[in-house]
Amino acid sequence: MSGPWTIETLARNGEVLHRHRVTTLPIRLGRAYDNDFIVDDEYAAAHHALVEPGADGTLLLRDLDTRNGINHKGRRVKELTLGGDTVVRMGHTSLRIRPAAHPVPPELVDRTMHGWEGMLPGGAGIVLCLLTALFVAWLLDAGGDPERYGVYPAVAVGAGLAWSGMWAFSNRLFGRRARLGRHLFIVGFGLAALVGVRLLASVVAYAWSLEWLTGYGSHAVVVTVSMMIYFHLATVTPQFRRRLRLSCAGIAVLVSLLILAGNMQRNGRTADELYMPVLLPPELRASPAVPVAEYMGSVGAMKREIDAERRGNAE
Amino acid sequence: MNRTVVARLAALLTTCLALGAGLDLVTRPASAQTGAGAVARAGLAAPAGAPVAAPVPQIAVDTPPAATPTELIAGEADTQDALPQPSSAAQDLYESARSDLLQIRMLLKNGRTQSTVGSGFLVGTSNLALTNYHVVSQMALDPAIYTAEYIDTDGNTGPVELLAVDVLHDLAVVRINRNGSGFFKVPEQKVKLRQGQPLYSLGNPLDLGFAISEGAYNGVLTRSFYDRLIFSGPINSGMSGGPSVTASGTVAGINVSRRRDGESVSFLVPVMYAQELLRKVAQQAAPPPDFNPLIGKQLLAHQAGMVDRLLEEPLTLKGMGPYLVPVRESGQVRCWGRSNARGAAYAVDAMSCVMQSAVFVSDVQQTGNVSMTHRYIRSGTMDPMRFAALATDIFQVDNLGSTGDPRLTKPFCTERFVHTRTLPLRAVTCVRAYRKFEGLYNFTLLTASTDASQASLQSRLDVSGVSYENGMRVTRAYLGAFGRPVRK
Repeated sequence: MSGPWTIETLARNGEVLHRHRVTTLPIRLGRAYDNDFIVDDEYAAAHHALVEPGADGTLLLRDLDTRNGINHKGRRVKELTLGGDTVVRMGHTSLRIRPAAHPVPPELVDRTMHGWEGMLPGGAGIVLCLLTALFVAWLLDAGGDPERYGVYPAVAVGAGLAWSGMWAFSNRLFGRRARLGRHLFIVGFGLAALVGVRLLASVVAYAWSLEWLTGYGSHAVVVTVSMMIYFHLATVTPQFRRRLRLSCAGIAVLVSLLILAGNMQRNGRTADELYMPVLLPPELRASPAVPVAEYMGSVGAMKREIDAERRGNAE
Repeated sequence: MNRTVVARLAALLTTCLALGAGLDLVTRPASAQTGAGAVARAGLAAPAGAPVAAPVPQIAVDTPPAATPTELIAGEADTQDALPQPSSAAQDLYESARSDLLQIRMLLKNGRTQSTVGSGFLVGTSNLALTNYHVVSQMALDPAIYTAEYIDTDGNTGPVELLAVDVLHDLAVVRINRNGSGFFKVPEQKVKLRQGQPLYSLGNPLDLGFAISEGAYNGVLTRSFYDRLIFSGPINSGMSGGPSVTASGTVAGINVSRRRDGESVSFLVPVMYAQELLRKVAQQAAPPPDFNPLIGKQLLAHQAGMVDRLLEEPLTLKGMGPYLVPVRESGQVRCWGRSNARGAAYAVDAMSCVMQSAVFVSDVQQTGNVSMTHRYIRSGTMDPMRFAALATDIFQVDNLGSTGDPRLTKPFCTERFVHTRTLPLRAVTCVRAYRKFEGLYNFTLLTASTDASQASLQSRLDVSGVSYENGMRVTRAYLGAFGRPVRK
């Protein structure tokens, strides 16, 4: 191994905080100003360690009889042979030394749409929030209350801004930029998706008399919200997409199970509602109506189930 | 001369007290007189049940913990005895009746604290006493938790043994450990009463002490499913189960309930049902060990009669907008209508028909009742999609009772698109079974018309305490009757 060597100061999660290049060996490490690499740490000694050439081109790190010493993998060592991935800790500082020939992984394929940042997605997000809120206000308007056309959009945009602002803050904290525009777009799209899924489920459920679609509607909300959160998280830390996808799916499953269990405990059934209350215009009905006699037949068939429930719980 | 003055003073005092009580009762329902719910509630007579008997603060303060309020009142009665011979019909009557008058208390077996109180009276010279079923319902339903004791006007107490109940007429016969003086005569034949004839109602109102109140007989109530006599006199909580007698001591009826929204409009169970129950007691060798199956049987008999009477002729069809809706209007089922034009966007007309009586099973469960509600919602200006959102919102009723109710199973529902001969509907039927009484169910049917995009007819039928077959019968008759007049 040959120089120049790069000393990297690492954060606990492995991220590089600081890099320093040294051209010659030995390298003196410590807090004093006559060192080759100054360790800015109260728990490091003035002259803490020395890196010397070891056998067959490797580097050898030696402790200069300090109080806190050198730690590697949780154990204090006097001397250590360094490879490119060996991380040592002196005081509160973690270090790694890599030679110039250290291999790096190939470049990643860039799928980020760099044009879709800033004002453009941000504006689209706010417009989506506004339109969704206006649509909901209009749909639920049952009698001359014009105030709602101001209140609904204001609440939606305000909440969307607060929510995406929170994400932008963490993006700035953990990533490099705030990316507020992207987060705003995710909020707007998510809100529109929530309303759209609900409407679609209602229409399909009514058309084909599929009561379970509205009965388990809360799970569609859980899935939509967890997807929203996944996209927020993936915007903050794009490198962990796989891990994020798994944990968001896991949390969604957990919340859904909690909803099922809660419904069971409160109402003795897993569905959110006792029956489907959706009523839509007659043109949207696709399933045929049955005669009263046939319907009463299915009411009669319930008796067995009810009696079983009565006996089951009576004992 | 002296006598009349005292009597007049007494009369004035009584009026004042009755007025105060009346005002108190009137104010409550008056504040909630809007909405079908209030109409329905006001329509039903509330049992003048012991369950509501709340102790009055003054007594609780004045009385040492060990002494019962009854003893205090009995003491007062004694001092009145010492007064120089004031007399009226009521005073004479109370004087002769007091030894046979009882207060019946439901006690929790653990700790022997009273849970409800009512009244009762000894029949003739026997050791049998008559009271209301609703006074002893806790003991009949949960004998493991509740027991009972009586207290007479002299403060003597003793155990109470339940012999027979008649849930439908709200009567019960109990046995105690002493015999009556023979004052209360329960006649073998029907008592003939003339409207306006004075009756005297005895009992222990609000657990304050034994009392007699004077009123008049005012005919037979036809709104109720079972005959009730109308007594125009005050009957308060705690007087339930007490006797209402003619001046000669012949029992005309047993105090049972009053109208909460009325003033001195009270109801009595006609004495002939008490005679029937007493005959049954004479025939039975021993009281049944568990009253629940017996109560279940009586409720089954009630629903059979109720449904037969409800469906003895086809349901009446009334027009609501373009729709024909089924109702039953009779002496027992009264209909009320209201219109509710909300803003300019849509209008709702509602009609609700409620049976004017229900069978009291326990203080939290009333049954044997039918109600039908229709709502016709329409809009000329709303877009179909918005109207659909409105109709959906209105169709969403969640008050099928608490699903955690231990007396009923959870609801089971069947929902389909159904068509009658002339109208397509969305129909939802939910059924719950009674846990304690086998073979009894509550049926709820919700329907919504699906033929128009700017009008919706939404109806609800509730039938409580019926057999499955009868529930299906009523549901089928009601559902099948919906329609639209066919145009030629």
